[in-house]
Amino acid sequence: MKHLLFICTLMVFCFPAMAKAEINIFACEPEWAALAKEIGKDNVSVTAATRGTEDPHHVRAKPSLLAAMRKANVVFCTGAGLEAGWMPVLMQQAAGAAVQNGAVGNFMASDYIALMDKPQRVDRSMGDVHPEGNPHIQTDPRNILVVGKAFTERLSQLDAAHASAYQANLADFTSRWQVDMKKWGAIAAKLRGTPVVVYHDEWNYLNRWLGLKEIITLEVKPGIPPTPSHLQDVLAASKNADVKVIMLSPFDDEQAAEWLKGQMGAKIVKLPFTVGGIDGTDTLEATFDRTLQALEGGTS
Amino acid sequence: MTRIFMGTVCMTVLLSLSAPAWAEDTASELQSLKAEIAKMQERINQLEQAQQQAAVAASAAPVSGAQSNDNAFNPAISAVLNGHFSAFSNKNPTVAGFGTGDDGKHGSQGLSLDESELGISSNVDDKFAAQITASLSEAGASVEEAYVKSLGLPGGLGFKAGRFLQPVGYLNEHHGHTDDFADRPLPSRIFLNNEYKDDGVGMSWILPTNTYAEIGGSALRGDDFPAGNVDQAHSGAWAAYSKIGGDIGANQNWLLGFSTLQASPSLRKGNDDTVKFIGDSDLYLASVRYIWDPTGNSLEKELTLQGEYFWRKEDGTYEDTGAVTGAVPFNGGQTGWYAQGVYKFLPQWRVGARYSQLNPDNVPAGLVASALDAHEHNPWNAALMTDWTNSEFSRVRLQYGHENPAAGKQDDQIILQYIMAIGAHPAHTF
Repeated sequence: MKHLLFICTLMVFCFPAMAKAEINIFACEPEWAALAKEIGKDNVSVTAATRGTEDPHHVRAKPSLLAAMRKANVVFCTGAGLEAGWMPVLMQQAAGAAVQNGAVGNFMASDYIALMDKPQRVDRSMGDVHPEGNPHIQTDPRNILVVGKAFTERLSQLDAAHASAYQANLADFTSRWQVDMKKWGAIAAKLRGTPVVVYHDEWNYLNRWLGLKEIITLEVKPGIPPTPSHLQDVLAASKNADVKVIMLSPFDDEQAAEWLKGQMGAKIVKLPFTVGGIDGTDTLEATFDRTLQALEGGTS
Repeated sequence: MTRIFMGTVCMTVLLSLSAPAWAEDTASELQSLKAEIAKMQERINQLEQAQQQAAVAASAAPVSGAQSNDNAFNPAISAVLNGHFSAFSNKNPTVAGFGTGDDGKHGSQGLSLDESELGISSNVDDKFAAQITASLSEAGASVEEAYVKSLGLPGGLGFKAGRFLQPVGYLNEHHGHTDDFADRPLPSRIFLNNEYKDDGVGMSWILPTNTYAEIGGSALRGDDFPAGNVDQAHSGAWAAYSKIGGDIGANQNWLLGFSTLQASPSLRKGNDDTVKFIGDSDLYLASVRYIWDPTGNSLEKELTLQGEYFWRKEDGTYEDTGAVTGAVPFNGGQTGWYAQGVYKFLPQWRVGARYSQLNPDNVPAGLVASALDAHEHNPWNAALMTDWTNSEFSRVRLQYGHENPAAGKQDDQIILQYIMAIGAHPAHTF
């Protein structure tokens, strides 16, 4: 028993408290971490719980996340069931009252977006469907602005002393973003109507924005990997619709896409999906720049 | 818009038909009209986009309103069904050198339904959360866990009351259906009777450090093996733990834990009530778990390494009624350990290997030739498994194990197992 006490004491002294006065933001996904930094700048400290190469649905409540959650006074996540596997564990084990569900410090981006594909009925035989609707809202740049605006309001409420700074940062971001959107809109006009195959229903917001036509998913059902028989259906549908592009996120399995490419010559386009998803996408702007460049390259 | 377009097209066609002499003029006119149409199309696209933007910009308020009815507050309900087919070459192997609790023995032969778990959990209000897990088996329903837990206490503090799986070692606080193998390793079976759950109150504190560190402890009733398993004889127990963990680079995570369970059973029965222990039984554990995602994406490939070391110090009396030893004073220590590795080589497929071993103590003269006398033999078990995970909710596993429970005894074990979860989304614990 003495040994144990000794170890406990050792732990306390080896890792001195790092409590800072500033706002600690726990961002579940890298896109929200980037947005929080745009708005909070030096007044906030942001921890991204996942990286761009990780599927935000399949994350473990690992020790470093428990430590980060314990310090958080703002939680900035997508919500809509995307983090259903790990956020409840972190919330119960490590989160303070300030960030619990319904608290001011608990900000769910999907609350501010009218979600697509809300299923009429849900059944697990349909795969890992989200009853709340499709949570991958960050692939449409218009949603980024809506969420940014709502988050700024929330942040100003939490940290009134810096409210004007947050508002100014938002205004700056918005004006840059609007210029970018014009630029992206010009490319989008050329992409309109392009038939595409996706791995998982993760591009629905992007497709709606750009007017891309999703023909079929390589996955059999959400969360169920491709099977040979399903791939035959994919091939038939893709040929029928004259699919030009197979869209993949950094964490989608490439095998099935490679097979389809070999069968019918469509191009595989790897898109960043979020900030840091592929090299050179360290900011939100770069992420969309690369997305549109890749799609433009894929369709030409 | 379409009408203007059609009109222009008709006029152009008419003009070109009725006046062939002006063909050259018409051609140039056609060119300019085409250019104008293209311009208009562009303008339409711009307007459409602007309209969508305006619609989005207007909605800065929450849009997804929850419906309010009584059902809206239903707790999360989940059920885990598991069953197995198993074959053991040794029908009733007793692990030499120990008094084993009822759950620590290996499972039943043949096709069989394992414990099915029914879980209900929810936030009670802004300060409390609660969970009940009932275990259903042929023996009837029993309360696996039933606890209330604080929510959002300041300073990283947590409080738990009720019956819950104690955080002694790594495996014990996890439900069996999340295990990587079909059965628990030998030391968990012998020292903790598969899993130690007890009634009591527990505190936890996550330290305000950048590296995860947590300490905690529980005061317990002492009503489950190894703290005692005779209803009237609960004699209290306490447990304490510390955990520390973090990341190594981007793709590796680790967790290290030290814990103890201090019990003084006024009576503890093992080996079908033939082995009785009275006295102090103190267990110390060290555990380590390490996960590596070689591709940075745990969905594709993942390596999990895990090990635990057990040291039990006992001071009291042992009696083996089977060998008619009478109560014999015993003061000694036993150890055990296991190490396992599981590798996900395809998104749905994993393979794993595990070795576990027990080191019994020498027995005093009065216990020679009793169940507690291992004859200098260290029981061991080696297991290989492979499992297929169709979705997050279903898994089928095949496991082969070879066990050497006592000197000269062998046990070949084959277990085919399914684990299915329905209802609420399962948690991804570390």
